[in-house]
Amino acid sequence: MPTYESDICIIGGGITSVMLARKLANLRPGTTITIVEAGRSIFDFEKRLAYRDRAQVYGEHPWRNDYREDQMAEGFISMTMAVGGLALHWGGACNRFSVEDTRLKSMYGLAADWPIEWNELERYYVEAERALNVAGEPSAYQEDRRSAPYPQPPVPLSYNLQLLKGWAEQSGLKFNALPLARNLTPFDGRGACCVYDSCDICPTGARYSPDFTFRQLLERKQIVLHDRTLIRRLVLDDAKPAIAAAQGVHQDRPDEQRDYRARLFIVASGYCWSSHLLLLSANSRFPNGVANSSGLVGRYMTGHAFVEGRATIDEQTFPGQHRVHSLISREYFRCAADKPFVRHDTRVWEDSTGREARLRDDAGKLLLGDEVFDDWRPRTKGSSVRLRTYLDVHPSADSRLTLNTASKNRYGDPMPKIEHRFDEPTNARLAANKQHVRDLFARMARASNGKVARTFDGEYLDHPGGGCRMGNDPATSVCDSYGRTHDHENLYVIGAPTVPTGGCTNGTLTFVALTLRSADRIASTLARA
Amino acid sequence: MRRRTLLQALASSLPVIPLTRVRLAAQVRSFTPESVAVLREVSATVLPASLGADKVSLLVDRFLAWGKDYEEGVALTHGYGDPKLVKSGPSPVPDYVAQLSAIDAAAKARGGRFATLPLETRRAILSDALATAKVDALPGRPMGRHVVADLMAFYFRSSEANDLAYKARIGRQMCRSLEMTTHRPAPMA
Repeated sequence: MPTYESDICIIGGGITSVMLARKLANLRPGTTITIVEAGRSIFDFEKRLAYRDRAQVYGEHPWRNDYREDQMAEGFISMTMAVGGLALHWGGACNRFSVEDTRLKSMYGLAADWPIEWNELERYYVEAERALNVAGEPSAYQEDRRSAPYPQPPVPLSYNLQLLKGWAEQSGLKFNALPLARNLTPFDGRGACCVYDSCDICPTGARYSPDFTFRQLLERKQIVLHDRTLIRRLVLDDAKPAIAAAQGVHQDRPDEQRDYRARLFIVASGYCWSSHLLLLSANSRFPNGVANSSGLVGRYMTGHAFVEGRATIDEQTFPGQHRVHSLISREYFRCAADKPFVRHDTRVWEDSTGREARLRDDAGKLLLGDEVFDDWRPRTKGSSVRLRTYLDVHPSADSRLTLNTASKNRYGDPMPKIEHRFDEPTNARLAANKQHVRDLFARMARASNGKVARTFDGEYLDHPGGGCRMGNDPATSVCDSYGRTHDHENLYVIGAPTVPTGGCTNGTLTFVALTLRSADRIASTLARA
Repeated sequence: MRRRTLLQALASSLPVIPLTRVRLAAQVRSFTPESVAVLREVSATVLPASLGADKVSLLVDRFLAWGKDYEEGVALTHGYGDPKLVKSGPSPVPDYVAQLSAIDAAAKARGGRFATLPLETRRAILSDALATAKVDALPGRPMGRHVVADLMAFYFRSSEANDLAYKARIGRQMCRSLEMTTHRPAPMA
């Protein structure tokens, strides 16, 4: 049985994993770090443009073999399992949460407060923005105070978005360019944006993806990476409640168990596989799972309910200028304590719905050759606009990830099953919150002789997190604010799983900020040892 | 000698497949000369004549290359929110060949080669063919349902067609500077 020893063993190879590893390597040179990832390394940057082109004309997934067929979860939002994780194909949105997200209990009597002071978290937002080279501009709302500017100016608004900003602000809301982890000029081994408009795979590397950082750390020999190796269990020390080893198996050697031994174990496996591993690691001393004396591992799974809309307006835009860029308003990040609770972001994109080529006209006649253009051109007048809001919804304890014995991988391990549930206050207000959003869309459209063509509710919860929520009380949380589990002094969970609530905007920047804060604590722990 | 040795090694490592099956597979995955001829006739009707004959011919060449480069069994975009693992199916080219043959037969039944028939007769033939294939909308990209819809999608979903519709140099999903996108697109000449 091969045994691998290091100071730190990080389980999972996504964005929080690599951000943690890079910071620890810099703070504590000489510390040995092993990262174990179940998926494969996709280090073929030179082929990205070809993959992107094939994705467009054949519909092929641009990140080839970024999944494991028997390692799937019911209720998850992406099957990607590879070095880089879901941040291989994220859009790069880097919105901050607001102070309200961390003080829901204190300010509104809802959900739970986070065990972190906002001013401290804000400093780590600055660090995260620098690490990801975020392009952004100061918020139009003075409540969104920053202690340092973005490292880059904002991604410029396209002509379309300039028009849409003018339109949308007639409603009284103020909008900014969405902050994005995207290079305006070459930076850190990655190229500059040239508007391929396919951020799910960026041919220039302008949109940050963790594979670049993994390669840098490997080239500098600051980490050891074991990919295609699935950690199946965390094993306890015989004498104390600490983790002694992580046991796994390489895809090519299914009969050979590998032991990873380390002083510290960091579970960085995202919102789904982190809780899953802890639950799978149940033993006689922790029969409900490792780090689970509270019974809360896999509970309070978070995510965003969302409402989308399409509006038509008179302004003339040119769809295709920059489809993935967008506007954001933080108007409804705040809610007066004496008003009905409603919090959400508001996003605006260019859109081409109803303004595309079609096969038949309204009478059903098949259009041929230039007739397609003759039918299409009159329909290019005016614009369609895409609108979306992420609502702040709060999980109940029954919002759960459980082990699904009806679905097992090749090793016989039950796979995760995620079922989101809202708490009672969320259920009580949700219909009114959604109506508020529809009213807002209508108000925005009316401001410029427009109308809402349709709205629809999202069918899943976006930006999921939770399952190992942080807190000060071991009875009501899994880990402390640094991710250290209450039950095991040498076991940490970082990133998305630790958030008690999911906010009302994209979460990645927050997950990275929390991780960088954990890195400082872990580094000081190493120093003391 | 080395080349021969390499070929022998490659041959010995290939899975054993009956030769007849190999031949069949090779045949059905390629456009036949007859089907290419019909495709070119059809293209003159379904693609814009305003592009000019040379451009239409070039688009057909690209579509044929698209069919040739099609890969079977490749994971398709598995999406976000409710991901599903779906792999690309068999090459659509055999169906295309059969569909073009049917169009050719329908044309001959109505009096001659497709290209020589009146426009409304051609429209009726293609409309029937698409209805038989249950295609009632232009797909987002070639999807393998019917060669006519796929050829039209191949062109009309392109950045170039988008520019012509808007009569503006938008350059959707083409590499360009961020600064360029900040201006109203230049009108087409």
